[in-house]
Amino acid sequence: MPSFFKRKNVTKTRYNQKSGNKEQSPEKKPGSIGFSLSVNLDIIKQRTGNSTDIITRHVKIGPNYGLKTVVVYVAGIVNEQFIHDFLIESLMKDHFLQEDLNLENAAEIIVDDLVALSSVMQISEWNQLLLSLMSGDTIILIDGLDKALSVSTEGGEKRAIEEPGAQVSVRGSRAGFVESLGTNTALVRRIIKSPDLWLESMKIGKVTKTDVAIMYINGIAKQEIVEEVRSRLNKLEVDSILESGYIEQLIEDQTFTPFPTLYNTERPDIVAGNLLEGRIAIFIDGTPFVLLAPAVFVQFFQSTDDYYARFDMATALRLLRILIFIISLIAPAAYVAVTTFHQEMIPTQLVITVAAQREAVPFPAFVEALIMEVTFEILREAGIRLPRAVGSAVSIVGALVIGQAAVQAGIVSPAMVIIVSITAIASFATPSFSMAISARLIRFFIMISAATFGFYGIILAFIMLLAHLCSLRSFSVPYMTPLAPFILANVGDTIVRFPWLDLGTRPKLISQKDNIGQGETMKSQPPENSGMVTANTGKGDGNES
Amino acid sequence: MEKARISAYQLFVLMYLFQLGSAILIPLAIEAKQDAWLAILVGMIVGVVPFFIYYSLYQYYPDILPTQYTERIVGKMFGRAISLLYILYLSYLSARVLRDFGEMLLSFAYPETPLFIANALLMFVVMYTVRKGIEVLARTGELLFTLMILLAFSGLLLVVFSGLIDLNNLKPMLEEGLKPVIKVALTQTVFFPFGEVVAFAMIFPYLNHPKKVKVAGLLALGLGGTGLALAMAINISVLGVDLVSRSQFPLLSTIQSIQIASFLERLDVYFMIGSIIGIFLKISVYFYAAVTGTANLFNVKQPSQLAYPIGIIILFLSVTIASNFSEHLEEGLKLVPLILHLPFQIILPLFLLIIAFIKRGKGQKEKRVQRESAPRRGEA
Repeated sequence: MPSFFKRKNVTKTRYNQKSGNKEQSPEKKPGSIGFSLSVNLDIIKQRTGNSTDIITRHVKIGPNYGLKTVVVYVAGIVNEQFIHDFLIESLMKDHFLQEDLNLENAAEIIVDDLVALSSVMQISEWNQLLLSLMSGDTIILIDGLDKALSVSTEGGEKRAIEEPGAQVSVRGSRAGFVESLGTNTALVRRIIKSPDLWLESMKIGKVTKTDVAIMYINGIAKQEIVEEVRSRLNKLEVDSILESGYIEQLIEDQTFTPFPTLYNTERPDIVAGNLLEGRIAIFIDGTPFVLLAPAVFVQFFQSTDDYYARFDMATALRLLRILIFIISLIAPAAYVAVTTFHQEMIPTQLVITVAAQREAVPFPAFVEALIMEVTFEILREAGIRLPRAVGSAVSIVGALVIGQAAVQAGIVSPAMVIIVSITAIASFATPSFSMAISARLIRFFIMISAATFGFYGIILAFIMLLAHLCSLRSFSVPYMTPLAPFILANVGDTIVRFPWLDLGTRPKLISQKDNIGQGETMKSQPPENSGMVTANTGKGDGNES
Repeated sequence: MEKARISAYQLFVLMYLFQLGSAILIPLAIEAKQDAWLAILVGMIVGVVPFFIYYSLYQYYPDILPTQYTERIVGKMFGRAISLLYILYLSYLSARVLRDFGEMLLSFAYPETPLFIANALLMFVVMYTVRKGIEVLARTGELLFTLMILLAFSGLLLVVFSGLIDLNNLKPMLEEGLKPVIKVALTQTVFFPFGEVVAFAMIFPYLNHPKKVKVAGLLALGLGGTGLALAMAINISVLGVDLVSRSQFPLLSTIQSIQIASFLERLDVYFMIGSIIGIFLKISVYFYAAVTGTANLFNVKQPSQLAYPIGIIILFLSVTIASNFSEHLEEGLKLVPLILHLPFQIILPLFLLIIAFIKRGKGQKEKRVQRESAPRRGEA
């Protein structure tokens, strides 16, 4: 039995080995690649369970075709065009370069002269070899050599860059992230062309070995936060990372909260903007959603359009979004409270109308609201999973059965239908899906408190919610900054947006201190001699007398 | 003492809301009739004195809680006894405020609800917040402060635009001379609400910039007092002295009389939001002071562990301290200022300050030589 099997469990962390490799003594260690090509190939076959998508191509190189060489790769995750054109072809054809090729210098010549691909690496460890094989590299094994060459040939079918599905904006870049990590980081690099944009990669997941990269701008991002992100990621010992949601939930500060404490986005411009504010982006291979840390509450109500549109519009829209969020939280609760406890609060005529409508309804307002809300949640959940072909069926059912028919059947009152519709629309207006979804949950909690105590219950639930929000932290940054703790310099970009010229400072708790984002000197003004006051001044002192 | 730091602004916000808390709801200083607002302002100016007593004590011991420095000042046994009394005082006051609020809530909105349930709900939210520590309380206070300011301004605008204000109600000023005003100020408003900032002695040591305590405190006293005086003046000018003195909650009556464009009316919810915010902050501060004091006195490592037990005690206390509302009010107006506020807000702190001063004076003479060579701590 080959000896590497015994080492299999010991060699878990690839990174420690990588640095240790160079110091290794020349004698054979278990887990290292052997000399014999056929044995090596057997080992590959054995460890991969004879998987049929592993392609081995035998070539003979060197003078007199004396060196048996094998090219190994996994079909589908490599760029086969590259392998054929720049690897196999040059190995087989460039004979004038191969004249003095022998076992000792084979690796060097292949690396230096033969392979016309950018990144080639020498490998002597099995685990490393298999990992790079599985990541889409091509392995070159030579008979009699206890080393392998790994050529970077990652490729395969990728989705093209498209407009993001979940975060649409009116103005601004149409590009959205895709599933490939390399493409995603490149999209951000194209926006921030600075050498200070630093990228660190790691592999997370004992089985999936998912590529994860953190990106930040050196000099803007706070070093402690970068360190914290890095250490939290390095601590992860999980089998798999299938989506950024895994990482988000594994590294967040507080698990028991309905609110998201990491921001996720599909848009490169949002990532770039946040990097410039000192945040750290976490890219995960295989998902178009990039995480941003640390996240603060107001961030979830900001959209890219706010920055591209004029500040007055942006401010109005942001305030509107906060209002919408509050509506989506308390609209059904307020209806329940008003109809059950505080009838005096609404105009008398409306009270009479509502009371007349509710006369036919056999349930208390709370039950009525609950029925409608749950029904709507069912509709929404079903709507996500519906096959496209039957999609219209559900909207018809939703509109007719839940709206018109439910009222006529006397299950709910028309006013309730209006309330539920407003809530439903409002819950879609929050720019961030993860924040909108938390409102869905909290709404029921507030409804219960409204049903038991009217407005008193709603207000108490609201204060409790505020206390909870204030207690949250995202990578040790208080969640409600810059509103609580109040930071005057940063209020310009919260639920309001000041003109760009007044947004001089970066977020204080997130980015490095004493760092001014923009100068004050660029304020442009109309030329002195235009405008009404001085329009009639010709030459002279402008004095009419 | 938990490892937490609050800013001077947060202290200001807490103190401001704390003073408005329950005082803005009741007919404060109405014994001075139409000069109630003046009595409040005089009370505020005199109220600076107790604040300076607490502040001077804090300056002597900027890093430790009052429950610790009483021990250092008057010795272990007496110090601990005094601390324990203070904790009881703070707990009693939070129970009082809770009771006040519960009774108010039942009388104006939920007549059928048992007092215990109404109190329990609020107390639960308070316990939840206090358990998370002073930082969370302070941050929540900041958000609520903004909300309160919005409410106050829009409320003021509504009152003004509904044309209710009749300044003649405030006349004649000083009808019977200054004497009744000063009497009310010295017997009532100094203690309630201005002297009640004694609870903040427990919070001062958490400040990140100790030097700003004075500014924040004085600003909060000044603005809080002005706000209260303004509210009272508006109440009187809208309702008249007679109505205000007979009303239990004049602010509620004022808000209820707002009527604009025949649809902005019955704005009770305004009053409810404002009162809940104020009361919540007030109970939280008292309660936090009691919790952190207890934890400090009995060496409990995590003050948060005490939040629920002490909270439940306060909840039961709030229901049992008086058998009905009249008794509760009677106690509050006649007994509490004299036998609780006066000793705990003025006499004891003054006594402690004098002893600390004498002790410090003695110690300073001996240490003066060393002091002059080394830079002082406070300046570092």
